[in-house]
Amino acid sequence: MTVVARPRGESVVRAIARRRAEDLRDQLEGTDRHQMARAARLAGPPRDLLQRLALPGLHVIAEVKRRSPSAGSLTAPRTVIDQARAYEAGGAAAISVLCEPHWFDGSLEDLRAVRDAVRVPLLAKEFVVDARQLAVLRGAGADLVLLLAVLHDGRRLRGLVREARSLGLEPLVEAHDERELERALSSDARLIGINNRDLHTLEVDPDRAERLRHLLPDDRLAVAESAISRPSTLVRLRALGFDAALIGEALMRSPEPAAAVSAMVAAGRAPHDPATVARRAAVKICGLTHPDDVIAAARAGVTHVGLNAISGTPRALPSDGLARLARLARGLANPPQVVLVTADAEPEELDRLIDEVDPDIVQLSGREQVALLEQLRRPAWKVLRITADPAATVSEARAWLASGRCQRIVLDAHHPTMLGGTGLAVDRSQAAAVAREVPVVLAGGLRPENVAGALRSVPALGIDVASGVEPQVRRPLRRPPRKDALAMALLGKRALAARDDRPHIASRPRLAPTGLLEADDRGRWGVEGQLGGRFVPETLMPALVELERTYAAIRHEPTFWAELRELLGHYAGRPTPVYRADRLAATISPRLRLYLKREDLAHTGAHKINNVLGQALLTRRLGKTRVIAETGAGQHGVATATACALLEIPCVVYMGARDVERQRPNVLRMEALDAEVRPVRAGSATLKDAINEAMRDWVTNVATTHYVLGSAMGPHPYPTIVRDLQRVIGDEAAAQLQAIEGRLPDLVVACVGGGSNAVGLFDRFIGEPSVRLVAVEAAGDGLATGHHAAALAGGSLGIIHGARTLLLQDAEGQVAEAHSISAGLDYPGVGPQLAAMTMAGRLELATATDDEALASLRQLAASEGILPALEPAHALAALPRILGSEERELLVLVGLSGRGDKDLAHLTGARR
Amino acid sequence: MTRSTAGSRRIQTAFAAAAAEGRIAFVPYVVAGYPDYDTSERAALAAIDAGADVLELGLPYSDPLADGTTLQRASGAALAAGATLNGSLRLLARICAARPHTPVLVMGYVNQFMGPIEPGVMAGRLAGTGAAGAIVADLTPDEGAPLEEAFGGHELALVYLVAPTSGQDRTAQIAGRAGGFVYCVSLTGVTGARQSLPGQLRTLVTRVKSVSPLPVAVGFGVSRPSHVRTVARAGADGVVVGSALVDALGTDGRDVDGLARTCGTLRAATTVTASGALHGQQPP
Repeated sequence: MTVVARPRGESVVRAIARRRAEDLRDQLEGTDRHQMARAARLAGPPRDLLQRLALPGLHVIAEVKRRSPSAGSLTAPRTVIDQARAYEAGGAAAISVLCEPHWFDGSLEDLRAVRDAVRVPLLAKEFVVDARQLAVLRGAGADLVLLLAVLHDGRRLRGLVREARSLGLEPLVEAHDERELERALSSDARLIGINNRDLHTLEVDPDRAERLRHLLPDDRLAVAESAISRPSTLVRLRALGFDAALIGEALMRSPEPAAAVSAMVAAGRAPHDPATVARRAAVKICGLTHPDDVIAAARAGVTHVGLNAISGTPRALPSDGLARLARLARGLANPPQVVLVTADAEPEELDRLIDEVDPDIVQLSGREQVALLEQLRRPAWKVLRITADPAATVSEARAWLASGRCQRIVLDAHHPTMLGGTGLAVDRSQAAAVAREVPVVLAGGLRPENVAGALRSVPALGIDVASGVEPQVRRPLRRPPRKDALAMALLGKRALAARDDRPHIASRPRLAPTGLLEADDRGRWGVEGQLGGRFVPETLMPALVELERTYAAIRHEPTFWAELRELLGHYAGRPTPVYRADRLAATISPRLRLYLKREDLAHTGAHKINNVLGQALLTRRLGKTRVIAETGAGQHGVATATACALLEIPCVVYMGARDVERQRPNVLRMEALDAEVRPVRAGSATLKDAINEAMRDWVTNVATTHYVLGSAMGPHPYPTIVRDLQRVIGDEAAAQLQAIEGRLPDLVVACVGGGSNAVGLFDRFIGEPSVRLVAVEAAGDGLATGHHAAALAGGSLGIIHGARTLLLQDAEGQVAEAHSISAGLDYPGVGPQLAAMTMAGRLELATATDDEALASLRQLAASEGILPALEPAHALAALPRILGSEERELLVLVGLSGRGDKDLAHLTGARR
Repeated sequence: MTRSTAGSRRIQTAFAAAAAEGRIAFVPYVVAGYPDYDTSERAALAAIDAGADVLELGLPYSDPLADGTTLQRASGAALAAGATLNGSLRLLARICAARPHTPVLVMGYVNQFMGPIEPGVMAGRLAGTGAAGAIVADLTPDEGAPLEEAFGGHELALVYLVAPTSGQDRTAQIAGRAGGFVYCVSLTGVTGARQSLPGQLRTLVTRVKSVSPLPVAVGFGVSRPSHVRTVARAGADGVVVGSALVDALGTDGRDVDGLARTCGTLRAATTVTASGALHGQQPP
């Protein structure tokens, strides 16, 4: 290696570039450009990376380098070839090879050697200052080449990109700031890198790629570079929409490079938990005309292929051609559903087409009448053109959907009279207004670069794309249009990822008043906005305002939810299963299909972990250094202590002195987890008093402390935050039941104290009018005795712990003491969202007494081998009453919110 | 916006009268029904007779989450002894009738004012006793509009609190909506006697006075004559003393003479000395 000095003040990248230019003067003097291009063509066909990167997830480009100016010598005990083979074995999508000799010790020999040793595509990492280098690199086996936007003005960069492409080299154009990115984008390169490292100074800004990603349109493939050393970083980059990460130093330094790559590849995979998958939109590619396009569509993960039978339109095929493509589609791995696209066909014609093509779905794109559905032997999708009056479209859609034979409304944004004058935004809001009410497949003008935005603003169940994935070239007349495989893959990827790690973006119609689904900007819930709010001492108001502001930003920040999902998946044991409890069901009703959502199997033994992991991450984001929490049964306290141990945050848990006695095991667990448990003797010495004391602590230490409230109650924004963090229960359960039973449950039942497990389970179903929701409250000694905890059934409107809601109180507003054997339900209030649902008639109420809950606990343990906590035992105990004399076959989902170990002592006590 | 009510004007007049005597206003706090109604009536009258400019009467509440242990205990004891809203309002009426020149404010929690009893009903009943208004510990202007409306209709003052955490913008917003005076919470915390008052008191008071023409009274943690003098030096117009007076009533809550003595001592400390700030003057 040559030691190279650079003049004072010259940036590193300019020094290297200057030196490469000098090298070239010597090496390439007199060589014939055309000769070199011929040599390049002899190098064998280039290996493609773009299709691979257009598959879901973040892919790894692993880099071989002997040294670098920033890291110094990286020479491992392995050869360059061994290193490259390890990368390939670990699952790298491509390998980057340093070719620059003076600063990086690279060479064309390394490139050639790696080319012979692996089968994945190679990126030549070189400082290209002259077009002649491109042919040399291609000749040495490069499939891709790095072009630095910093070294070239826009015109030269465009020229280099064109030249590289003509040689079969795919350019990766790298930028470090907004100006370079602008040049990179105008170069027409499909692969754009954002480097965290400033090549002038070699300084690294690890968040730069994250900040600049949104400037990159979605029809390009995005590569993040430099300072990527941990799998968690890849999770964040994937959530932000990067398609690849280029990783060098961390892998060169790893003693086990194959395993290191493998861990990175795993971290970059697209999420596949049931809740995430259920939010994804179906992707229909319409008007396929060629077998290769059908195969490419299936490979791109497309869920539906549209075969066009409307004669006279460009993508129409004769029926035997349609039948051939349909057969091909059905025979593929992960076969897409076949949609036969028709318009105003006569019933006989439809019959004949259905016989020949055998589609899964028939699309009606003309001016058909609803009566046609009666004769149609397949489920239908009806195309409606959006008008300026979404309500009219909705009522027309409802007429089509009423029979159940029409499954979807394909909403086409194109309209002859709306062309030109109407902007896309207007279309989007009209489409959203329809899609909030009826199941919509969104069509019209969708392309890879705009599909994610469309799916985030319109709660459509699917998208329908035809011309958006066709090459923008003039095609010969009378030749049906073909699809571009890369565009289809990219469209599929962008559509799939659009709502990943954005769990609060609406993804389907929700038929319920807004006030039952979301709080308004003042934290009010309810049809008339009369619940919720923020009633706290002034000292706390600024903290709540700050919490609201921080959470509002985080709520739609994919990196936060990606990080949380990783924790929930790898640490907390999500998704929890749904279990079909046949033996228990048989004792209740012969035609009952009873599923238990097993939150008792989540880490720490209850649903509480979902909330605390999220709030612990939130604590970090707020810059707070101490956490307080209240606990009733001790489950929230244990969960908080657990999350705080994991994230190294000191933690104080307030617990009513009575609860400390009756939930001893959880006190010991909290102490083992290094939390400080402070017994509260005031008032009834239960949950309500623990909350009071936690609030007093918070009033005193608000500057440093975040209050991890355990239920979906309290002042705004807590009811929203806790609900958001718990809704994974219902999102998962709905997806799981869809997978097992093919439909949503008829009835969903949960126990209610403050209401976090209930609202978490119910939230997914509030907007599904076919699903009955039942809250089971603790009746204590019996509702008639007045010794109970049934705030919804027996309470009145008032204000408790910062929110207007239903609570147990006397006529003067003094809060009454609740009574329940279950410490987790022993609370006189309830969260405002559940109160709003109750008052609007969306939530049915039931109760179970202490004795019934105990009996139910024993029964579930004996019949199914599941020892539930006393809290969900209430939900099970009320089931026979809820079902009544129901004769129909019923699909029932019950939230099993926690396990019963904590109640063992109580159980033996009660038995005595 | 601030609504000028008769209650609000009575309170401001009382503060102005104290200032005219070279004092900051003395606002003692007595828990209604602690340890019983008779004793608390004698305690309230004794506090007034010891020189209260305004009296604060606490309405016992089941969940006093802004209060420290002293007031929690007194509130709980009063409820256990049978205190009710009706009983406390009758007590209030007797106090107002016996000492008509001293404005009396009740202090309570929002569920007593905007819960099962509608704001309009509560305001009407309060006005009927002769009270000047109320302080609600867990109510801010963000949620206070319905109560302000009801109080305005009955010529009552709704006193709002500002806290050290409030910041410039919220302080201005609160001061703009407050009636009677602005209650400046001295510290970040709950009520209860403290060894010393925080050092930023002057900054807090100055911040409120820069945005409001209303008198400013400081409360929370004030228990000694030296604290009262600190409050006066910070430029405040009044001082609220609560927990220290409950303590003065002794463990059984019946030492009314003790309370009167403590009131006298604290009241004596309200005189602004030559080195202290006078009402209306900004500290240098």
